[in-house]
Amino acid sequence: MTTEKSILRNTSIPFAILDREKSFVDFSKQWLTMFGLDSSIKGQNFFDSMPELPEELRLDINYCLEGIKHRSDSKRIIQENGNAVWYDWKVSLLNDGQGVTPNALIILEDVTHKRREEDLLVRSQQVARIGGWEVDLIKNTIYWSNMTKEIHEVPQDYVPNLETGISFYREGYSRDTITQLVNEGIELGKKWDSELQIVTAKGNFIWVRAIGEPEMLNGKCVRIVGTFQDIDKRKKAQLQLLNSEESLKGTLENSSIGMALVARNGRFIDVNASLCNSLGYTKEKLLSLTFQDITHPDDLEIDLILLNELIKGKRSTYQIEKRYFNKDRQLVYVILTVTAARNIDGEISHFISQIVDISSRIKSEKKLKGLLELTTNQNNSLMNFAHIVSHNLRSHAANLTMISEFAKDESLDEEIRKDSLGMLGKASQGLNDTISHLNEVVQVKLETDQKLKSVQLYPLVNKVLADIQALIEENKVVIETDVPQKLEVRGVVAYLESIILNLVTNAIKYKDLNKKPTIISIKAEERYETVVLTVADNGLGIDLEKFGEKLFGMYKTFHGNEDARGIGLFITKNQIESMGGKITVDSQPLAGTTFEVTLLKNQQS
Amino acid sequence: MNFLDIAFVVDDDPIHQFGMKVLLKKVKFSNEVMVFHNGQEAMDALMQLLDKGEKLPSIIFLDLNMPIKDGWGFLDDFVMIPHQNRKKVVIYVVSSSINPSDKEKAKNYEVVSSYIVKPIDEKQLTQVLDDMGLLNSR
Repeated sequence: MTTEKSILRNTSIPFAILDREKSFVDFSKQWLTMFGLDSSIKGQNFFDSMPELPEELRLDINYCLEGIKHRSDSKRIIQENGNAVWYDWKVSLLNDGQGVTPNALIILEDVTHKRREEDLLVRSQQVARIGGWEVDLIKNTIYWSNMTKEIHEVPQDYVPNLETGISFYREGYSRDTITQLVNEGIELGKKWDSELQIVTAKGNFIWVRAIGEPEMLNGKCVRIVGTFQDIDKRKKAQLQLLNSEESLKGTLENSSIGMALVARNGRFIDVNASLCNSLGYTKEKLLSLTFQDITHPDDLEIDLILLNELIKGKRSTYQIEKRYFNKDRQLVYVILTVTAARNIDGEISHFISQIVDISSRIKSEKKLKGLLELTTNQNNSLMNFAHIVSHNLRSHAANLTMISEFAKDESLDEEIRKDSLGMLGKASQGLNDTISHLNEVVQVKLETDQKLKSVQLYPLVNKVLADIQALIEENKVVIETDVPQKLEVRGVVAYLESIILNLVTNAIKYKDLNKKPTIISIKAEERYETVVLTVADNGLGIDLEKFGEKLFGMYKTFHGNEDARGIGLFITKNQIESMGGKITVDSQPLAGTTFEVTLLKNQQS
Repeated sequence: MNFLDIAFVVDDDPIHQFGMKVLLKKVKFSNEVMVFHNGQEAMDALMQLLDKGEKLPSIIFLDLNMPIKDGWGFLDDFVMIPHQNRKKVVIYVVSSSINPSDKEKAKNYEVVSSYIVKPIDEKQLTQVLDDMGLLNSR
């Protein structure tokens, strides 16, 4: 007995032997270690030495000492310090059957840790909704764990078989797939891991992740074990996301607004059809470019400044009106809205650009502006005209009235009355001149609708200069011309001659006698859709601050020159405008004057 | 004996100059009539008189539309002359313009007594003398 005891004492089993009085007769080292005791407990009362044990254990010990052979149980107890402790125990009656006082053998284990693990596993399976299953192909049985049953929404006492297991899968893709996977698993031992849809016993459609691992023995499948996870929520969210991504992509592609995803360096990552359409590029070509490549240089700086503010987080979006060049280097006017897209780390991954093509709007705005300008010009001409009528005609009429009164007035000296007759002649001549000037102006206005023809400037300029050769020589004027031979404008020959003649003779008339020689330069050059004719001199110049507004008005002279009629520039301006052109002037007193006449370029077809 | 000493006529139109001279003489308006072709000439003459400390004209008949310096330009320069030097000078605008905006603009100059629309005649000049309080004193 003693020997036996000492052998057992060194085993790793925590056991103790109690006598009838429940005092320690013997115990293993493991017992002492497990419960933090020492060998002084020998002979001591079990319950005095270890007070914090489940009540059920005390009962089981009593039962055994009273003659029941085995008791075992597992219980949890909350200790005085608040700790929860799980105990597993087995109690056996030790009895040599010869009337000796019975002893009780107790094997007691603290299984708190193990229990916690198990508990956690169950809980995590519940949280993750993972169930298990097993098919035994030899016994032809199928086992489903409780969670597997829960996912299928069948009662816990449900008994599955292989066929019904498969029949839960949704008809079509899911059932076809699982059938094939199971077949391949049985025949080839192939594992599977697939996301499929089942229809539960209650008729709900649920996405599951089914994993199966066949076990092969001698090339034959004997068993398949696997897990079965409810992934419905995640899968549906994922599908929804996919769906919304698809619909976003669809929106982007089919939007009438140009849209682009732009990398941080400005390269196009993706563009839609509308943008390609606006810019005239194919998608492939556009994706090889950056927005900098196709932005009008004058609009690039502000765009880059705003983009930088976006990168620095100073703003979350910006909108500007800007110009792109299309494939044919024509301007495309757009309203651009840029938003930053950020990745999970909050860093800018790319930009989302929305581009509204407003070219047609700008075009019509420009047309409107042109019309407005034209109307304003015509209105000004009309005002001028009214002014001529009211002022110039009136002044002659007033003179005639005054002078004719003198002729009648017999109290005046004979001398004065004679002079008055001379003045009467002058006054009526003045009236006549004014009326003929008015006629010239009206003529220009009447002929506005006259068809414009293509006119070569070079021979025209030479003809005008030949006509006034004598005047040029008499005044010792140096004429410099730079007119390309093939340059053509749209205009009326007579007007163009009159314009050049007027500008050149003006320049001669207002030459600065202190400057020798008088130089007049006549230049013409193409500028976009127009031809600009420049007549520059080194003459007296005009103080534009004082006279600028009046320069092209009728009967304005500024030098007190005897020849000044004050009608030339007015008619010139009218003639130019009637051909769709305009005239501007730049001048400094005593430095010279430059007139710039902008005319329509003849479009070669 | 004439009513005033010196009258300025500022107008670029030779016919009007002639007419004014005839009319002013007829109503015995002033001892002397000085004619200028534009605002600049008239202004130069005024400055010369001021420099020499001589008597300024009693009245200026001023046209509006003139080359080099028009009537408005003259008025703008005139109001720059210190007040006590020019306080006895009366200005009448004489213009063929019936544009209401010209009349309105002339009103904005305190120095302008009245706006006469051409043709000017004997009666109007007599009225000017009356306005100046010269007829009753006779």
